Amino acid sequence: MSFLIKKGIISCCLILMAASLMAQDKFFTKSGNIQFSSKGAIETIEATHRSVTCVLDSKTGDIQFAVLMKGFEFKKALMQEHFNENYVESDKYPKAEFRGQIVNNSEVNYTKDGTYTVHIKGKLTLHGQTKDVEADGKITVKDGKLQAASKLKILMSDYDIDIPGTVAQNMSDTINISVSCTLEPLKQ
Amino acid sequence: MNKKRTIIGGIVVVIALAAGYGWYQYNRTVQGLANVSADFTVNATDLIKEFVSSEDATNKKYLNKILSVKGIVKNVEAAQNTVVLGDTSDMSGVRCVLDSTANTTVGSLQKGALITIKGAITGFNKDETGLLGSDVQLNRCVIGN
Repeated sequence: MSFLIKKGIISCCLILMAASLMAQDKFFTKSGNIQFSSKGAIETIEATHRSVTCVLDSKTGDIQFAVLMKGFEFKKALMQEHFNENYVESDKYPKAEFRGQIVNNSEVNYTKDGTYTVHIKGKLTLHGQTKDVEADGKITVKDGKLQAASKLKILMSDYDIDIPGTVAQNMSDTINISVSCTLEPLKQ
Repeated sequence: MNKKRTIIGGIVVVIALAAGYGWYQYNRTVQGLANVSADFTVNATDLIKEFVSSEDATNKKYLNKILSVKGIVKNVEAAQNTVVLGDTSDMSGVRCVLDSTANTTVGSLQKGALITIKGAITGFNKDETGLLGSDVQLNRCVIGN
């Protein structure tokens, strides 16, 4: 009898362990931060997004981001209107997505606190155009959570975003993007 | 001579007005929503259902509008100034980013409280991973009314 109970306890423990191991495979956030800026001759255009979704699979290194374009907040109303109506056409293309992979995923120990430098390759879809993107980033593992940060540059012309001649001199084709997310383990 | 002067004066006034209007437009900040009335009043769970059943039509109906959303506080994310409304048993929710310029903070909001949040809808983030649940997002949000 006691043998059976022991066996039962052991198998329960094994199931729980397996479940907790599985649960730690994936990390996510729905409140990631993306900032972008473009330095022109006269002024800098800046915007922030605070509801970025990100999922990272620590086993495969697969990483995905989803951003609703209308969620970018600018200080100046006119910039926000032009951004949505003329540049990214957010009514037509409401969402931007990145799907990629951490190339050196095996170098990251997701169970040990520390900061790891990562290289990410993937495809960014923005304004209906999909382009290959590469970036360096950092993943900091702390207390079971991940702090992920990366900076990258993209060109507006790559994504078919036209800047009218009158404002072209005040805007750079290069957009600096900075990503910062705190990812939590996904409980399944 | 006098006529010429009037014409020149008129032109100067028009240019000054145009420049003033341009300057005003250029510096105009994004409007706070505290005194703006909502275009639609909806329940958080109904809003999610509407988007799930027909994303395109619901986008057409709500995008660029101001929504007043009533729901149960599912989560408060103070670091991001975000309140999530919806059903706790569901991964989906209505994520409301509070307007940081309007002195609204998540303050003493408690999970489980029934509240109304007014905000500008920014869209529906459909979950393609099957893990996270789909969310409706609002920003520039203010609590109450």
